[in-house]
Amino acid sequence: MAVDEEPDTTAKNSAGGENTENKRNESRGEEERAFECNICLDTAKDAVISMCGHLFCWPCLHQWLETRPNRQSCPVCKAAISRDKVIPLYGRGGSKEDPREKLPPRPQGQRTEPENTGAFSNFGFDGGFQMSFGIGAFPFGLFASTFNFGDPVIRAHGTNPANLEDERFLSQLFLWVAILFIFWLLVA
Amino acid sequence: MAQNIDPVNGSNNSTAMKDGDGPASATKHQSTSKRLQQELLTLMMSGDKGISAFPNGDEFFSWIGTIIGPKGTVYDGLIYKLSLTFPNGYPFTAPTVKFVTPCFHPNVDTYGNICLDILKDKWSALYDVRTILLSIQSLLGDPNNDSPLNGQAAQLWSDQVAYKKLLLEKFQDIKS
Repeated sequence: MAVDEEPDTTAKNSAGGENTENKRNESRGEEERAFECNICLDTAKDAVISMCGHLFCWPCLHQWLETRPNRQSCPVCKAAISRDKVIPLYGRGGSKEDPREKLPPRPQGQRTEPENTGAFSNFGFDGGFQMSFGIGAFPFGLFASTFNFGDPVIRAHGTNPANLEDERFLSQLFLWVAILFIFWLLVA
Repeated sequence: MAQNIDPVNGSNNSTAMKDGDGPASATKHQSTSKRLQQELLTLMMSGDKGISAFPNGDEFFSWIGTIIGPKGTVYDGLIYKLSLTFPNGYPFTAPTVKFVTPCFHPNVDTYGNICLDILKDKWSALYDVRTILLSIQSLLGDPNNDSPLNGQAAQLWSDQVAYKKLLLEKFQDIKS
């Protein structure tokens, strides 16, 4: 009896094992599918996510947007979508190379600095002293300049150091032109 | 001589192809066939009733699909074959889908062309062979009579008994 039963139970066990393994494979498949690009149906590479929450490879989405520049909509839910409104996803793995070097470039992540708590901190002189003056008439509006003392001018635009250098030079140039102009006004 | 010329011709051809299509096109072609492979796999795994599709012979970019008329409609049980041709830009551009079996339907013309918005301006890269075939299957039982390609079918649709009679007559004609 016992000898008869033994193969039976082992068979059952192995069948059960197979079942659970199948299930695990299935669930793993489902899990992996959750991170598949909605366009190429493959695991998303250079992944970006739309505001409506749908995942794509950036090359796939870029190509989709290229094919219809006038009506840019999410392939999944038809919500409005655009290059500026997708967010790149950076996992722990993935390529270390700069995604911008790839074509098409993946849009940048948007980093915002945490907000300052002091509401009036800008009025303190610790951050530097800013004063600007201009002359309102149209042709002279060009001469309007900005004095910046002790402020290592970091503005939202012109993040390039070379640009910054140029900007400082220009502002100084205009400052001197403006001073000359005022001097001439006073003398004349 | 011929031996000397042939490789030259061959290399000329390959450069001409590169100039014409570009390497981008080659990768596009690759991604299209990769996606079609994925679709074939899901289509075979899903086991949907009433629809099936398979590549037509060696041509991986042209498939033959089959639709069985949905139950509860005049098309119940009728089997239609369709051809699906995938452009290089698939899935960014819609495939060309035509009825191979002549189909008497308000939105299908005598050449088998189908008037279906998702195959034209409503196309989305998300749609695949499965959703296309399901859409056409449901179009059979739920035609859009406002913009017919087959006026006779559109007019007759309101009289379902007469419609079915004519439909079956036409379907028998094809078979015989």
